[in-house]
Amino acid sequence: MKKIATLLLALAMVFALAACGAGGGNGGTDDASAAPTEEANGGGAAVTGDVIKIGGIFNVTGDQSSIDAPAQKAFALAVDEINANGGINGRKVEAVFYDGQTDTAVCASDAKKLIDNDGVIAIGGLSDSDYAYAAGAVAQEAGIPIVFSGATTPDIPDVVGNCAFMTAFGDDVCAHAAAEYLYNEMGARTVYVLTDTSMSYTSNLSAYFVERFKELGGEVTLEDHFSSGDYDFSAQIQRYLATGETDAMFMSTGPDDASTVIEQYRSAGATAPMISGDGWDADLWGVAGDLANKDVYVCTHYSTGDTSETVQHFIAAYTEKYGIAPENAFAALGYDCAQILFKAIEACGDDITAENIRTNIEAINGLVCTTGTISYTADNHVPDKTVVVTQSVDGALKFITNI
Amino acid sequence: MTLSYILTILVSGLKLGAIYAIVAIGYSIVYGILRLINFAHGDIMTVGIYIILVLMNRAGLPIYVSILASVAISVFVGLLIERLAYRPLRDATEETTLISSLAVSALLQNILLLCFGAQRQPFMLPGFLTQGHTIGSVNFTNINIITFIITAIFLVALFLLLSKTKIGIAMRACSENMKAARLMGISVNKVVMVAFAIGSGMAVIAGFLLAGEYKTVYPSLGFVPGLKAFCAAVIGGIGSLGGAVAGAFIIGVTEILFAGLMPTSYTAYRDAFVFLLMVVVLLFRPNGLFGSTKGERS
Repeated sequence: MKKIATLLLALAMVFALAACGAGGGNGGTDDASAAPTEEANGGGAAVTGDVIKIGGIFNVTGDQSSIDAPAQKAFALAVDEINANGGINGRKVEAVFYDGQTDTAVCASDAKKLIDNDGVIAIGGLSDSDYAYAAGAVAQEAGIPIVFSGATTPDIPDVVGNCAFMTAFGDDVCAHAAAEYLYNEMGARTVYVLTDTSMSYTSNLSAYFVERFKELGGEVTLEDHFSSGDYDFSAQIQRYLATGETDAMFMSTGPDDASTVIEQYRSAGATAPMISGDGWDADLWGVAGDLANKDVYVCTHYSTGDTSETVQHFIAAYTEKYGIAPENAFAALGYDCAQILFKAIEACGDDITAENIRTNIEAINGLVCTTGTISYTADNHVPDKTVVVTQSVDGALKFITNI
Repeated sequence: MTLSYILTILVSGLKLGAIYAIVAIGYSIVYGILRLINFAHGDIMTVGIYIILVLMNRAGLPIYVSILASVAISVFVGLLIERLAYRPLRDATEETTLISSLAVSALLQNILLLCFGAQRQPFMLPGFLTQGHTIGSVNFTNINIITFIITAIFLVALFLLLSKTKIGIAMRACSENMKAARLMGISVNKVVMVAFAIGSGMAVIAGFLLAGEYKTVYPSLGFVPGLKAFCAAVIGGIGSLGGAVAGAFIIGVTEILFAGLMPTSYTAYRDAFVFLLMVVVLLFRPNGLFGSTKGERS
């Protein structure tokens, strides 16, 4: 009996290993689709038929899903729209989506699958820098241009290489805008800074904010930290209250912790205005309820209150296709990410190669998008855009000003 | 660093300790008898919270009915897990069951992920439970008081069960020596099932208080409190219920004191500190603070 059990266990392990291998994205088991991969490597990829295949990697499951799922929906919407208008130069666009599962290893293997198995000519997606680095390295090696929809660490193109582009502004721009809004518009002179140390996004955001706020002449009274997954903030809150309330609080957390942080700080009696970056363009009200409507500010990419035709068209089309308005700014970024790819592919004419798309993205100048006007140069793959400051009012983010 | 500040964070530590204590009692009833390090305990807790959430918020049942129904369902889940994952390994080494319990933990978390997604869901309690009180600079809510009371009730009830009832005495016998207990005509399977039923039921109550205090639930919520309850049971001493409660309060208070008094650049490492504390305690008292010195079960 025991021997049979041991045998079964051993067998199960072998199968598990085999499954891991397949998940690793070497394409070893998908024999049929793995064949035409040779020419897809080394930047020589080209579109020959009348279908343009592009890839999308989004973390639609896991912690990132609240921002990546809307981004993927908007990306898919953009693809539907361009095909309904006859495609690009007469060719239809086909998007292949893979779930990154909020796991850097899966994101990297997704990129490999898209390039090797599906033969995509360009890739879009991902709202967080840690996953962008992972997928970007694979795309760079294959010479496939990759446009990140929501990743905001400004050094991504430097780290990944010349195939990487960002749709969003860099964290430095976002954090500087928050510092300037607090100092210049609100007249805040002292701030408290809370940082989630488990993500590079939140750590960077705080560092940029502190740097700018001090530069302006403000004082950072207290900096405290936590690690995402901590659900008890009582020690941090008591220390803040004991040090004395500041003019404002800069809360650098990811979208998941936002509502919990607001609820616990406000319930414990911290009343100073709270401000955060685009990570807080998420559900602030789930746990906190009405407390999230009390003096909470978010620096983000766009505002649904923007009356420009581009923004209003996007909101209407998204609402019609999915039955709800865009959940957050990452949806708008996903939509813009697709527009950048389409614009560059269109500029290629009939000579659609990965390298041509890459150089044509670099040539984009003044492309009007939902999240602002996007321009790139050969040296700068991070668009210089304005930051939208919003305030949480009655369960939604209302536009206040552009910085 | 005023006295009132120390007092406030001390109370925060006690509040956190009470939550850990209630998890640790349910944990140590299984741990004390089977010597089974049940990493899935925290996840049974999460399952219980989700069942309450569905019954209370989606089906609109009253809170008491939801809790009772969730206890019943979770006890069934606990027994099922015992039957499928632990009973076949009854004669295996402790390490084997430990790994089996990790597998159950991963399984439960992933089932919850499939059913409810990774998004955090708000877990809102009726207003009277979350009503706050203030004495001086100290804040607490009704749910904090209830947590303390239930911890005490559980402790006394289990103490009476273990010392006065036939099944309790059988449990203690199994805890001492399972083979000898079997030879004495004790049905080990029955004893283990009762222990699992009690442990799972208490896990639901603990989960309800945990999610109620922090107002949110997500699939991995119970795992870390489960680990901390394990630490509490180890620090307190294997098989000692009072020790587990004491260990839980020690962990809760030192965790908050660490986060509240250390330089702020270390506050993110409070969990690491708790686990380090366990290692240090074990170095000096291998059987925990209140554990028996008899050592391994024969």
